Order: sequence, then C-alpha cells, then structure tokens
Amino acid sequence: MATSLPRKIWQTLGAIKTGVILLILTVILSAAGTLILQRPATDPDEIQRAYSPQMLRLLDGLGLTDVFHAWWFVLLLSLVSLSIIAASVQRFPNAWRFFARPYKSPDENFRKALPTHTLIPVKEEEAALSIAERVLHKKGFHPERIVRENSFSLFGERNRISEMAVYIVHASLLLIFLGGIIDAEFGWRAFLSLTRGEQSSEVQAQNGPKRYLPFAVRCDGAGQENYADGTPKRWWSNLTVLKDGREILHKQIVVNDPLVYGGVRFYQASYGKTGKVDKLVLTATSRQSLDPKDITLGLNETAALDPDTTVRLAEFFPDYVVGDGHVYARSNDLENPAAHLVVESKKSGQAINYWLPAIPGVEQNASSTYEFQGKDVQMAYFTGLEVSHEPGQWGVWAGVVLMGLGLVVVFYLVHSRIWVVPVRDASGQTQLWIGGTANKNKDAFEQRFSDVVKQIESELKLSQPEVPQASVAALTEK
Amino acid sequence: MARERVEQQPAAATGMTLVVMVGLGVAFLLFMAFLNVVKSGNLLNETNLLYATLIFYFGAATLYLGFGITGTPNYIRFASLATWAGLLANTGAVAHRWYDAGHPPFASIYEMLLSFVWTLAVLTLIAEKKFKVKVIGTVTMPVAIVGVVLMQLLRTEVHPLVPALQSTWLHVHVTLAMLAYAACALSFALAMMFLIQDKMKTETFLAATSIFTITTYVATLTRFEKWGGLSVAAWNPEEKSEIFIAKGVRLFVVIPDLGWLLLLVLAAVAAPLVFYVLWRKTGNDAHIDMANRAVFLSILLQTLALVFFIARARDGHYFSLDADGQFPTSLAASPFILSGLVGGIFVSLLYLLLLWRRADLERMLPSADELDRIIYKTIAIAFPLLTLMIAAGAYWANRTWGSYWSWDPKETWAAITWLVYAGYLHMRITRGWRGRRAAYFAILGFAVVMFTFFGVTYLLPGLHAYA
Repeated sequence: MATSLPRKIWQTLGAIKTGVILLILTVILSAAGTLILQRPATDPDEIQRAYSPQMLRLLDGLGLTDVFHAWWFVLLLSLVSLSIIAASVQRFPNAWRFFARPYKSPDENFRKALPTHTLIPVKEEEAALSIAERVLHKKGFHPERIVRENSFSLFGERNRISEMAVYIVHASLLLIFLGGIIDAEFGWRAFLSLTRGEQSSEVQAQNGPKRYLPFAVRCDGAGQENYADGTPKRWWSNLTVLKDGREILHKQIVVNDPLVYGGVRFYQASYGKTGKVDKLVLTATSRQSLDPKDITLGLNETAALDPDTTVRLAEFFPDYVVGDGHVYARSNDLENPAAHLVVESKKSGQAINYWLPAIPGVEQNASSTYEFQGKDVQMAYFTGLEVSHEPGQWGVWAGVVLMGLGLVVVFYLVHSRIWVVPVRDASGQTQLWIGGTANKNKDAFEQRFSDVVKQIESELKLSQPEVPQASVAALTEK
Repeated sequence: MARERVEQQPAAATGMTLVVMVGLGVAFLLFMAFLNVVKSGNLLNETNLLYATLIFYFGAATLYLGFGITGTPNYIRFASLATWAGLLANTGAVAHRWYDAGHPPFASIYEMLLSFVWTLAVLTLIAEKKFKVKVIGTVTMPVAIVGVVLMQLLRTEVHPLVPALQSTWLHVHVTLAMLAYAACALSFALAMMFLIQDKMKTETFLAATSIFTITTYVATLTRFEKWGGLSVAAWNPEEKSEIFIAKGVRLFVVIPDLGWLLLLVLAAVAAPLVFYVLWRKTGNDAHIDMANRAVFLSILLQTLALVFFIARARDGHYFSLDADGQFPTSLAASPFILSGLVGGIFVSLLYLLLLWRRADLERMLPSADELDRIIYKTIAIAFPLLTLMIAAGAYWANRTWGSYWSWDPKETWAAITWLVYAGYLHMRITRGWRGRRAAYFAILGFAVVMFTFFGVTYLLPGLHAYA
C-alpha cells in the first residue's frame, strides 16, 4: 500500500527523530540569538560598533539580529508545536485504549509471560480470595472481582492516570504556546507618562501609533522613597480609573504590583523629573505699602495681588542659561532656577515681564509695582507607566499549572497493577496466581509486590494453619 | 603497584595519621583566627563564620580526598563530622547575612554563592547518608571551597534591594533555581562516576581532561590576552567595584607577561592530548606514560600560573589602554580567569586520582546500573524544579515588567537547559536510552546549566544584571 504524501508528512512530523532534530535546531538558533547582539535590546550605536557594515548587512539580511521575531524562528516554533501535536495524536489512541479499557482478566499466555508473579497454594478458594481482596484494598489497589464466562479474577490498580501524564504535559505545552501566540497577535505594550493630577486615555504603543483606551487613568500622586544610602527603595503611584467621568477604581501601584482594569495592566516603570514646576511660592511686596504677601502659583496660573494687579507664572526654568538674549533650560535638575512672571494692570493694560532672578536684557523688573522673592519651589515629577494587554497570559498560566501537575504525575505516580487468579496445578491443588506490573520504577514496584504477597501469605497462614510452609512455591523471575 | 603498598599498611594507622593531622591543622587555624578575633572583639560576625566554614570544609575536603585515595572508612566519619561543623558555621553565615540584609541571601552573586555552597554541603551529606555515595564529598567539597574562596574576593556589603527585586516570587524563583542547579550538579557528578563504573578507559578521561583544560586556556587567552599580557578590568578598592569610563564600558588594564605564561601552560596542557593521539595511532604504551607525566607537569605549571595571577592581580598598578595613568585591579574583577585556572587544576587533580586509584574507586562506587538509575532519579527531580523555576521567573517578570517572556539571554538559556533535559527524558523514555549515552546527556545538561549560571551573567548583556 503506497502512502500518500500528506500521510507521509504527518508520519514524519510525529516521529521522535523529527522532534529531536527540531529541538536541536531550536536550541542552536536560540543560542545564536543570545550570542549575537539583538536589535530590540541593544543601542543602535552599539551594534554599529560591534560589527563591520558588511557583517551587519549580512546579519540583518538573515534576520540574525532579531532572531526571536524572525519569520523562520516563528516557523520553527510552529513546526515544534505541529510535531508535538502529531506525535501525541498518533500515539494517543493506543494509550487511550490502554487507559479506558484496562486489561483485567489475564489469560494463560499473559500469566506465563509476566515477569513478576508468584503462586501460593490455598485450601479454600473463596476464603483466600477474600483475604487477597482485603490485602489489596489495604495497600490501596482498589480491587474488583472480574467474572467472565470461563474465568474469574481479582484486579487491582493504582494511579492509572499515570498512563495519560505525557499527554497532559504535551497539552500543557501547547496551551502555553497558544497563549504566547494569542499575545503575539492581539497583545500590545505601551507607555504612559503622567504627572500629578493629569489624566489620560491614550497611551503610546511601543512600536506604532497611539492607542486609545475605553477609560482614562488619572495620577493622584507619585513618589520615591530612598534607603539611607540614597539608592531607591520604592516607587509608587496612586492611580484612579475613570470611566464616563466616574471614578471606578483607586489603587496605589508599586514596582511589583500593577493596576489591572479591563484586561489592561499598568506597571510602575519609571519615575523622574519633568523639569516643570508644580508649585512656586513667592513673596510679593508692593512698592507702595511694603506689605509682604505670599502667593502660590502653578505654571500659567494667575493670582490677584490687588484689585487692579495680577501676576501670572509664564515660564519656569529649573536650570537656566542665557544666550543671544534668550533664556534656555540647560537641564531638568533644580540647579539654577529662573521664573518668568508677567505682572498685569487692568487699568493701564500694561504687562510687565518680571524675571526672578533679574536677567539683564529680558527683565523689566524696575517697572513693576511689586517686587517678588522666591520662597519655595516644588518641581513636578512624572510617573512612567508600562501598559500592557496580554489576553493570552491566562493560557500561559493555566499551561504552567497543568504542566507542573503533569510532571508530578509523569515522574512520581506509577501505574501499578496486580491480578489475582485462582488456578489448579497438575495435582488438582488450588493455587492463587498473583502477578503484577508497573509502568516505571520497577524495583520499587517489586518491593511493593513482594510486600503484598507476604501479607497475603501471612494472613492465609493465620486462617489455614495446616498448609505446610514447604509447599509455598514463591517464584519471582528476574 | 601503589595499591598493594597501601593495602599492606595497617588501615587504622594510616587512618589516624591523616585524621590527627587534619584535626591539628583545623585546630591551629581556628586558634590563629581566634587570636585575631579576640583583638577585634567581635566573635560571631559573618567574616569569622565564613572563615570557620572555610577551615572546616577544607578539613572535610582533605579527608574526603584521603578517603578517595585510600578508601579508609575512618576518614569518612571524620570528613562527615567536619562537613557538619562547616555546615553549622555556613548556616550561621547565611542567617547572619539574612538578618543583616533583611532579605534572603539571593540578591547578588556573592549571596548566591553563599546559598549555593550551603545547598551543596547539605546535598553532600544527604547523598552520603541516604544514597551511600560516599566519595561524593571528594568532588563537592573542593567545589564548596572554591565557592567560599571566591566569596572572599567578591563584594560583601549588604546592598538594599532595588524595587524590582522586592518580591516573594523572586525568592521562590531563586530558591527553585538553586535546588534545580544543585540537582543538576549531582546528576553530573553521578554521570562521571557512571562513566568510571561503565569501564570507560582511563585514557579517554585523559583526553577529556586535556580537552577541558585546553578549552579553558584557549578561551581565557582569546578573550583576555593582549600583547603578551592579560587585559583585565580595573578595580576601585574603595568602592569595591569595577571602574567604568562610560555607562557599561569598563576600564581595562594590562598585566604584562602573564599572557606568555598562560601560553606556556596551554602548551603543557595540550601535551597529554598530543601523546594520547600518538598512542591511538601507534598503540605504543610508552606514549601514555609520557602523557601521564605531562599531566603531572601541567599541574605544576598551572599552579604556577595561578600563583602568579593571584599575586599580580592583587598587588600593583598597571597601565591602561583607555586612560592615562596606572590603575589597580583585583581578583574579583576577573572571576572568569580565576575560576578557569582553579577549574583546570581541579580537573587535572581528579584525573590523577582516577589514574592512581581507579580500582579503589570502582570498588567503592555503586554499580553502573545503580548509578544510571540514580542519575535518572536526580534528573526526575531537577526537571520539574527547572520547569517551576522558569514559571516562577516568568510570573515575577510579568508582575514587574509587564511581560512574562522577553527572550532575554538568561531566560533563553534557561529554556535551552530545559530543552536539553527534555531531550534526555524523551530519549530515555521513548528510545530506551540507558547507560553511556544518557550519561553524556547529563554531562551536557550540566555544562549548559553552568553556562546559564555563570557564562550568561558575565558574558552576555541582559535584564538579569543583578545576579
């Protein structure tokens, strides 16, 4: 019978050899992905420095600078999944038959071929069987009496699930892959930066356009706590979720504890200076009354000094320099601050640029009816939030849990079976044939088997003291 | 034959001599240490506890080696005793560290080594008492000593945990990793013993030893050799850290002449392989004798290289190519070279042990079949632990960075380790691989584990910069 091509491919995919070759390929290519600098994780300059232009072109062309997103790597992982599926599907029916219809009534050929078995002479068949049944029960084998047309036997087993364990592990691996594929396809990662009081419903996707959320997130405060030596101990942000203008959820997030809402997670990722002023506290003194007065201003906020005069904070530089008659910000650190105030008079309609400190060339401080002195300044900090949507992660976690369970079953649960059949020897003496087998860890099973046999023997001896010890023919081959 | 000579000597007498000598040595060192302690007035601090650990482990290793060589059962008793004492001090050091830092000691490579050595000692005692693999200490205790010595050179201040590391899941992850790696290490040691019991030729071990040391020296030379010297990272002794000229760019200094010395040693460690190849070609046993003598010579030269490297890296200022002036360096700045040199000597010594005492080793070790089964059992423990370790790490990453898998080198190599052991299990279960091929797989698996643990940390960039 000629096998068709699709069938041949299917058979090849399921072969253990294919699986191993695919595994080796995966190992080699993953290793390459850690040895060669990868574009997503490295500075472009660093890659330029590390490789010659020709080499870089070659690596880029082959996709070796981004192995884990290259089409051939995805193809390879798909082939691995297919191979697992094919191997499982091809082997499953047999295993399932074994699992679903256990062999309960051993025939004579089976009894002869089974390596671990023994024969115990008994007086009364029924009483002996009850004893065997009781002992098996005590040892956790859950015996049942199997009555067929021309045979009678006891069958007990433990941990039949062990036969299915490999399929559980393979299924869990596929579940993890499925979760990963769903995330690669439908998941996204983005960044959101908020200052105190700010709210937003649009986030900047990592490699692409802005993304709009069906709700908004507001930052009610953020901060950093330090250890005594100045290294950061904790970053936190108080977030509020708003939907249709209503507050739905409050949560303080810290680095290892994200906010989750509507399948979207917000992680504390960074915290830093915006270079903007949050609150500037000034002492304003009228040139006429000499009566000092404290005012607090945010950027572009206006405060009334008297019924006629207002002051507005037009600009703030945390670290200023002057060049070509302009004022520039040198850094975001509060090193050398300058504030640009605009003092307006309603009556005259005059607006005066008041600079603190007085910067020659741009200031008109002398014309102001008020003098200002800086008292306190609070800078605005931003909190950087990593935003991610991973709809497939539940598949991954379910797969992980299933795999943990599956592995425990694979390695530590042994499917062991024991059969007890009453037989007659050549002289017509009734004997109990007891045999057993296990699917792994055979030494331990043989120990357990001989324990069961010894127990049955000793209980038989109690109930039938007249059976001589010498006639006990225990036979354990191999 | 040397073996006959040993057997003629009364066993008890040889037993007591070494035990008494080691006992006196330990007592002397402890007494000296105690004098220092009395001066400083603080008895139970971490440094002292670690020093005591080192002394006891050293005594244990000597006795285990003595047992490995002579097979005197007396040694084992005292070796266990010394291991117990060392473990006690080690536990104290771990507890002290934990108390001081306020978190389990897993946050830096120093703390990881502290925990690793502890785990190793515990496993040694378990393997010895429960599985009756008595010579295991011959291999594991020297490793523990190297660990404690390395710890002395690494930075020891308690560092507060950066926010990303403050997570229970991290502790779960690292604990699982330690347990899994220790189980892998055990399976590796057992695989080596299996190869001995499987009648693998001593000459093959000779070739493997030679190839291992050649690889170590070639790797060291290609990576660090510069104009006949060794280019190593400069070290700031006050800050106890490497000197950086820009973010992520280390300042390198060149220790002159050491490159030539290492090249000489490379020739010496390559010689046994040359003689081995000649022996394979001609079948003349004289070549093997030459090869064995070459191993002996290479050990002397390797030790010389180590001594020179230690002496010069600890002491003196050297020129840098990247900046003006001279800068000091430290052993802690080049853990690779140090562990390479120590590893080479250690492996060569183990080969000599095998060469001289093979018959005794074979007598003392469990049978090949038994070892094969134990290897499978250790991997049956290691594999689920590896799986859970990766899962816990992924879960932690998901809570911290918002992504459970980002193909960072450490993650990728953990996955590769997992795949290698998965390959072993498939070949064993479906193909019935037993014995030698399975043992090779266990050895390969451990090599990958070592690379994941050390290689990735020092060679490859990534998110796992903490450990």
